[in-house]
Amino acid sequence: MSQVVIQTENEVTKKNRPLKKLLSKFGPLIGLVLLSSVLTLLSDKFLTVNNIMNIARQSTINALLAIGMLLPILTAGIDLSVGSVLAISVMFMGIVSVNLGMSPIVGILVCLLMGAGFGWLNGILLTKLRLPHPFISTLGTMNIARGIALIVTAAAPIAGFPYMIQFLGREFVGPIPVSFLLVIVVYVIFHIFLTRTQTGRYIYAIGGNPEAARLSGINVDRVLIIVYTISGLMAGLAGLVMVGRVNSAFPLAGLSYELDAIAAVIIGGASFLGGVGTVWGTLIGALIIAVLRNGLNLLNVSADFQMTVIGAVIIAAVYVDVLRQRKSKKS
Amino acid sequence: MKKKWKVFSAAVAVSCIALIAGCSGDKEVSGGGGKESVSVVLKTLSSPYWKYVEAGAKAAGKELGVDVNVVGPNAESEVMQQINMIEDQLSQSPGALVVSPSQPDTVVPALEAANVPVLLIDTDADVKNKITFIGTENYEAGQEGGKLLASMLQKGDKVALISGALGNTATDERIKGAKEALKEAGMEIVAEQPADSDKTKAISVMENILQKHSDIKGVFSANDDMALGVLRAVEAKGLDVKVIGTDGTKEAVESILAGKLAGTIAQSPYDMGYEGVKNALEAIKGKKVEKRINSGVDIITKENAKEKLEFLESISK
Repeated sequence: MSQVVIQTENEVTKKNRPLKKLLSKFGPLIGLVLLSSVLTLLSDKFLTVNNIMNIARQSTINALLAIGMLLPILTAGIDLSVGSVLAISVMFMGIVSVNLGMSPIVGILVCLLMGAGFGWLNGILLTKLRLPHPFISTLGTMNIARGIALIVTAAAPIAGFPYMIQFLGREFVGPIPVSFLLVIVVYVIFHIFLTRTQTGRYIYAIGGNPEAARLSGINVDRVLIIVYTISGLMAGLAGLVMVGRVNSAFPLAGLSYELDAIAAVIIGGASFLGGVGTVWGTLIGALIIAVLRNGLNLLNVSADFQMTVIGAVIIAAVYVDVLRQRKSKKS
Repeated sequence: MKKKWKVFSAAVAVSCIALIAGCSGDKEVSGGGGKESVSVVLKTLSSPYWKYVEAGAKAAGKELGVDVNVVGPNAESEVMQQINMIEDQLSQSPGALVVSPSQPDTVVPALEAANVPVLLIDTDADVKNKITFIGTENYEAGQEGGKLLASMLQKGDKVALISGALGNTATDERIKGAKEALKEAGMEIVAEQPADSDKTKAISVMENILQKHSDIKGVFSANDDMALGVLRAVEAKGLDVKVIGTDGTKEAVESILAGKLAGTIAQSPYDMGYEGVKNALEAIKGKKVEKRINSGVDIITKENAKEKLEFLESISK
């Protein structure tokens, strides 16, 4: 087979003509704009400040999980455990800061560390135990984390968190949810991390061609452990935001959220084959899912139907990815 | 060539969504000018019980001339999706909101931010601004169950109680009510054990009870699934024991009709939906609504099981 090219964002854009470049870069954004236009026509409630802020708030949990998920996917991996890791993180935060009455700062630290810890474990299972694919290691930790989340309080929810813990998910600056501002900050940090740091560039390189990356002296294992740790950390952060929104932690929190996160990354233009995908594309992907759900809710489309539509959008988005792959192989 | 395809396929996808959304939107939203509207957000719409609630809410809307919009996630476990649905319903400014929370604590922030009357059905939550809670009075349901069981037995007969998971307030209340009624009727309660509302667990719990007390004459169970489990254990031993359940599920009613289960105390999900919308309308009009509304129970035995089954089938269409 033809040799796989290590594509960083810059190289891709250099190769392409302006219009092509525009399309591949802004494809998801064009989709989002089209979708929003259609929904504006169909519902007079869609394009209101109140509703846009609803969308912003409803997108945040998935946006945080998705940006974490982008890293494993860039390395041609996957992290199925994020939803369960979210649950175990919030349950332990609840135990520490509500049941044991410790300082909210300790609670927040426990939440984030629990997330990062499980992420690190995913990285270790993948690189040190050499399990064949992260699908397997993270499938395992997905079940372990969910199981423990259910066991620790015998499946009982925990409510009544201190204000400091609720702040991120609950408060507004003017009309804008604090959680959405957090998303923007996190995405800017990820953008800088992925495009301006050595580790960031290594992540793209590993996804493009792990063997070449190894031969060129990159410590692949170290980078992979960082990737999964960050993914877990973002699950903890998403959990913190969720607790603020609903003022409670429950063991079934985040059930099947990994699938929405993967969908956001893929709709945002990342490739399952690794090496291709951007931070802003992922944000657009998360917003497309949130806008779809919100718009279909406003139009009173049943939940069953919403599943069908979102499924179709995922397939359409990946088909675009396939076309892109085919094109880049030819050139 | 390729890029044209991309734009084309994207356009097709978006217009398909628009078309689908447009079509299915139309039939739900009737454009009744000046009509009051009530939004109902349930735990899910994908199980028979919730279909009954939905049917009741829609029937009330039809009879009272209210636009009723019933929504719910794909599963009771989709807690955040339910919160999103509550927010999205509120942004459409309905006249009132009727909610059955999947996780009582989680809906509190969203509902306390609502600027319309909020009513809870089936499951209560600690929401400051709620108008009312409409649901089963579980203690009373238990009492009725106890009385029904006692009416089938002789004074001094031995009976057992099967409760739900420890700390489940709904099933605990039912057991309390049943216990009181059974004691009053002079029954001897020889066992009380939890089977976590689970059918399989109820089988082994009942087997253990029968090891010790093979002369038991009656059992009251805090839900129908456990009652059916108890029945299995009893039948395996070839004993004649009267078993009473609670809930009024279709499976239980069918079992009663077949002469197996002795009876059940049925909850009224249809009435919860109906009363929810009816009282929401009262609240919109500024009328006073009771803080707690009992949706009532139905005592189902072999005499009326056929009607109940027909009713369940008619509203689940």
